[in-house]
Amino acid sequence: MIYRVYINFKKGILDPEAEAIKRTIDNMGYKTIKKISKGKFFDIEISSSKNTLKDLEKISSDLLSNPIIENFKIIKK
Amino acid sequence: MPKKVVSIIVFPGSNCDRDLDVAVKKHMNVKTKLVWHNDSGIKYQEMIFIPGGFSFGDYLRSGALAKKSPAMKEVIRLSKKGVPIIGICNGFQILTECKLLDGALIDNYKRLFICKENFVKIENNNTPFTQNIHKNVVQFPIAHAQGRFYTSEDNLKRLEDNNQIVFKYSSREGKTNKSYNPNGSMNNIAGIVNKNKNILGMMPHPERMVDKTCSNEDGLPLFLSLMN
Repeated sequence: MIYRVYINFKKGILDPEAEAIKRTIDNMGYKTIKKISKGKFFDIEISSSKNTLKDLEKISSDLLSNPIIENFKIIKK
Repeated sequence: MPKKVVSIIVFPGSNCDRDLDVAVKKHMNVKTKLVWHNDSGIKYQEMIFIPGGFSFGDYLRSGALAKKSPAMKEVIRLSKKGVPIIGICNGFQILTECKLLDGALIDNYKRLFICKENFVKIENNNTPFTQNIHKNVVQFPIAHAQGRFYTSEDNLKRLEDNNQIVFKYSSREGKTNKSYNPNGSMNNIAGIVNKNKNILGMMPHPERMVDKTCSNEDGLPLFLSLMN
């Protein structure tokens, strides 16, 4: 089965890349965009076991994200 | 008496390991041992240096993959025994990823790779790494894209209260306001130590400031401090 792990910055952490993307969208003429945040995701194919979610949570908090600056969310595809 | 041996951990993508090796051997009267990241044992445990560079191509986050290297597991174990450890630039990023030091180092405020000399104020010269630094302000090169120090407000207060902030970006005169902050680091932070003061992480490169034929010698007292 495949799970998707989403990672994004915690609230309040300035992401200069997302800011630059927003400025470009503003320059494209769109006046309704209020804020943009950027993230990334990983699709992980994993053999099912009773520890699947526990393992994915550990991998996400221990490696894929840095809990000081990022949140993660796991979704089954 | 046999010379002390400094272990320098080398990752795929490290590129300051040789500079550090040359600086340390020339000025600290020690031997060095380069330790490949896949080595699970660190034979020489007197001092450990983690050099700058782009370990694992900075994939995922700077230092994120390096923290899982067998050699780093050993570094983490030895850190608890009080072994002096220095992480410079990418080495600092690796130490924060390992949680041996507080905070995280994220994209510079303007997303530029900054490569220049910067003035750095010595905030605490009462550590094993800074006790020989007698200047209030030194000049070190910085060369990084992810050097913006971030931590929670609570942790920042704790770092301040415990005198764990060792280096701050500053003016030539030692002013540490936003005008002299090259990358957006919280409170101009350029380097910190852990609570026990046996682990130092810093973004500037003291190993590039030890030879007056090509630079000043402001980095020298840092290495000499460790000889005491």
